[in-house]
Amino acid sequence: MQFFGGSDISPSPPVTTGSGDNGHMMYIFNRNGVCLLYREWNRPLKTLDAQQDHKLMFGLLFSLKSFTAKMDPTSVEKGNLGLPQLPGQGCSFHSFRTNTYKLSFMESPSGIKIILVTSPKTGDLRESLKYIYNLYVEYVVKNPLYTPGTPIR
Amino acid sequence: MAPIAPRSGDAVFANVERVNAELFTLTYGAIVRQLLTDLEEVEEVNKQLDQMGYNIGIRLIDEFLAKSNVSRCVDFKETAEVIAKVGFKMFLGVSASVTNWDADGTCCSLILEDNPLVDFVELPDTCQGLYYCNVLSGVIRGALEMVSMKTEVTWVRDMLRGDDAYELKVKLLKQVPEEYPYKDDE
Amino acid sequence: MGREVSESCVDNLIIEMVSAYCNRFYESKPDLAARRIEAIGYQVGLQLSERYTMERPRFTDHLEAIKFICKDFWSEVFKKQIDNLKTNHRGTFVLQDNRFRWLTRMSVDTNQTNTDSSLDTAENKETQSASMHLYFPCGIIRGALTSLGIPCAVSADMSNLPACSFVVRIKG
Repeated sequence: MQFFGGSDISPSPPVTTGSGDNGHMMYIFNRNGVCLLYREWNRPLKTLDAQQDHKLMFGLLFSLKSFTAKMDPTSVEKGNLGLPQLPGQGCSFHSFRTNTYKLSFMESPSGIKIILVTSPKTGDLRESLKYIYNLYVEYVVKNPLYTPGTPIR
Repeated sequence: MAPIAPRSGDAVFANVERVNAELFTLTYGAIVRQLLTDLEEVEEVNKQLDQMGYNIGIRLIDEFLAKSNVSRCVDFKETAEVIAKVGFKMFLGVSASVTNWDADGTCCSLILEDNPLVDFVELPDTCQGLYYCNVLSGVIRGALEMVSMKTEVTWVRDMLRGDDAYELKVKLLKQVPEEYPYKDDE
Repeated sequence: MGREVSESCVDNLIIEMVSAYCNRFYESKPDLAARRIEAIGYQVGLQLSERYTMERPRFTDHLEAIKFICKDFWSEVFKKQIDNLKTNHRGTFVLQDNRFRWLTRMSVDTNQTNTDSSLDTAENKETQSASMHLYFPCGIIRGALTSLGIPCAVSADMSNLPACSFVVRIKG
């Protein structure tokens, strides 16, 4: 399966900005925390085994979601910190940036989480994430040989 | 960026790849017929149709979400409306209506007056007790489970049994929040 | 134009039907599962063909009927015609669809370099379940031709995904 540079796929991919070579990693998780897909393009740091790495990424998002919702100044309802949330409940963050990288995130109401880690100069990737979600639907979910909930080969 | 409003069922249906409903209807009919031959018991056929629907539902949900732009399904009332108006429309080309809400908003009816599954279908007397469209209730149950809603879906009215419409009762049992999936000592 | 439904309805129904027969009803009996899936296809082909030929004169020979399958029938079902038709003039016809709709989303990983034996079996299983999906269209063709008065056997070859060849052997 090819993600960037696909041929006859619809809808058409959003125009990418920048000079390529921006992407570091991509993760797709399902609602049970199973990492369905991991790809890396440019990641010199390799200190963790894959499973640890996926767990850490999932944990980071899980906690961040919980914290961001807790700190939401506009919402009346507040769960206790760490209390399980429904996907799509409360506010949700879609990216954060450090001096060395940017993490963009989307979560579907069905709990599919797509994460792109790119250069800190990358712009808004929300359309790209949605595009990837569409690819996931067309080429993974609709593949007759794919068993839902298993890693994408 | 303001959140994008969900698309209307008509708009989504106009944009998806469509096929002759005959192929769909006849394929479903042939499956039910084969199941009746292979499984013999009508009750077992009902159960398997529901199971098939459930498995379809857990696949279908992501296509539904991706194409309809629905970005959250937290409120059950809202979700039921979206299933009826967008979900049914975008897959089957017909919409359902939602009625009969109970007082606490956890139980409603989806009513379908036009149902492509049953074109050219007449049930012989030997199929008493068969819920021919049981795949539909399974699809709804499966899809809702993927958006954290445990439901019970049952038939109230069935035109193949002489009623004036198809009516599915959808009861929300509980909403299952997302738990941290790993144990700490793992 | 008659009533339409989303293509996804048909795709998902077939995926689940094949999976139910292969993984639940006849898990350890793939031959039996294949026969049932073919029988469902047969029924569909029979009924579709009857509908599509209601207002047509009867076909005068086998080639006429096969051409009808390649053009009109295929267009109704798959929105395109068969791309290539070959025959040995002794009752065998090969119908090739260069981009068979029901296979376009199937990805069978054929250049797996890993020699891990567990992966090998997984792969075999994958090829096997991929071929399970072809009994349904084979049944459809056999059903359609039978309704036109041509008893036959139909097999399929998908060594060139997403192209697919259906081999029709006319009986008698």
